[in-house]
Amino acid sequence: MSPRACLAVFRHELRVLRRDPSTAVFVIVMPLVLAALMQRLFKGTLVAQGVTGATGAEFAVPGMAVSFAAFGIGYAGFAFFRDHGWGTWERLRASQASSLDILVGKVAPAVGLSLIQMVVLFILAVPLFGLSVTGSWPALLVTVFALALCLNAFAVLLTAVARTSQQLTVFASVGGLVLATLGGAFVPVEAMPGWAQAGSPVLPTYWAMQGLLDVVIDGGGLLDVAGPVAALLGFTAVFAGLAAWRFRFDEPKVYWG
Amino acid sequence: MLRVEGLHKSYGRVVALRGVDLEVSPGEIVSLLGPNGAGKSTLVSIVAGLRRPDAGTVFVGGVDALARPKAARSLIGLAPQDLGIYPIVTVRQNLTLFGELAGLRGRELRTRVQEVAEALLLDDLLDRLAGELSGGQKRRLHTAAALVHRPRLLLLDEATAGADVETRAQLVALVRELAGEGSAVLYSTHYLQEVETLGASVVLIDKGSVLARGAVAELVARHGGSVVELRFDGEAPVITRDRPGRQPERDGNLLRIPTAEPGPEIAAAMTAIGAHAARLQSVEVVRANLETAYLAITGRRYKPGEEIERA
Repeated sequence: MSPRACLAVFRHELRVLRRDPSTAVFVIVMPLVLAALMQRLFKGTLVAQGVTGATGAEFAVPGMAVSFAAFGIGYAGFAFFRDHGWGTWERLRASQASSLDILVGKVAPAVGLSLIQMVVLFILAVPLFGLSVTGSWPALLVTVFALALCLNAFAVLLTAVARTSQQLTVFASVGGLVLATLGGAFVPVEAMPGWAQAGSPVLPTYWAMQGLLDVVIDGGGLLDVAGPVAALLGFTAVFAGLAAWRFRFDEPKVYWG
Repeated sequence: MLRVEGLHKSYGRVVALRGVDLEVSPGEIVSLLGPNGAGKSTLVSIVAGLRRPDAGTVFVGGVDALARPKAARSLIGLAPQDLGIYPIVTVRQNLTLFGELAGLRGRELRTRVQEVAEALLLDDLLDRLAGELSGGQKRRLHTAAALVHRPRLLLLDEATAGADVETRAQLVALVRELAGEGSAVLYSTHYLQEVETLGASVVLIDKGSVLARGAVAELVARHGGSVVELRFDGEAPVITRDRPGRQPERDGNLLRIPTAEPGPEIAAAMTAIGAHAARLQSVEVVRANLETAYLAITGRRYKPGEEIERA
């Protein structure tokens, strides 16, 4: 792997992102709006669960952070499909950048975007929604970082499987929705039907919610989130392994749009 | 600088290359000439490390490109057949990316971006979005991205396809200049006239095989006598030639008469076709050039856009 070539791809992806910041704006602004709308909805649920002095932000903020990180799994994939559409994919492959350089350089901005989106939401939620993080901020940061890695490894797997941008859109939309809802980010796991509760732990978003709720509500620290973070990193390893097995850099992909 | 030996490549049952051998020396322009589907792009993409051959060897600057593709790629600049630029960033940012990927940085990178932009008349457009350029300007940027790191082997795959006359002339002039500075250039094209302008060595490729190679003048002298073509309404008649030289060839409604003296040949042919003159639609003299050499080598007229059926 060549750090220089990887950095060149990374910087270029940031330039592209700057030219079309609509995705970044969407994933940062929308969770704030939805958290504001849903805060009161969750207040009653949290109070009923014995969370004294709950404002509802204790669930709405982690929930929207995880949900919108999940909704953004298509972003990393489009960084690959765009190059196929613009005819630049073959040029990248013919450059001195290795396949791994290209992959890391393209996915790293997406990981950064997920991270920024979640961290900004948590920080702004303190003054805007009266969110009180009772536990450790470093534990919260470690959890969101593990989630960002995990979701983007899944995004690479979806990209490896999809042959057209249309397929990627469908996979990312359905995948994002399943991850957000069944993972317990939109509705608390306890409020879901039994079958959904049973299936929830097979999704990484479930573990992210467990870790974040532990930090926000139960005063959790780094040790308390070790389990959820380990689960997230385990998912990351599985997704990355499957992506490495399936990804064909010489496979032509079709980009519409 | 480039040595290719015994290159074979098939896509399923379609054979793209059948044992191609090729050499390009530093400072030499080798023009890979052939119609669409002849195997040119497959050959270029294998040399660039984008595809693996089924058999054969590729050495770039003495480096085994199949065993050490990354080392070989550092010597290569590729402008693929299809336009490949980032439309939503500027011309400068496009060139900067490919310079950075080749390991350039700082002042050297900025200088090279400026130089290559000037060489391709893009210097006034450096801060414009690539997507806002005209077709010819985009084509020049596409080629410039392959040159920014001064590659020792330049692979231009149909570099002037779809380009306007001015852009084509600029690119051809630049390629000659680069070769003059010592770069080896493999220039794939289906424009015969361009090959003649480049003064390149020609490798004539058809159906995945190299049919002939040599300087343009050499190929024309060896294969390229003038031809008189008579086109008929319906099947061309059989005529026997009483003048010295090769006998006429029939190809559907075409009758081709190889000759050194087109004028007297036409007069003689008018007599020889007799009553078939009523069906005669046109008479054309194809002067000795690369096109007649192609005709003599392949047995058919050169049609740049034709797709070759491969078995």
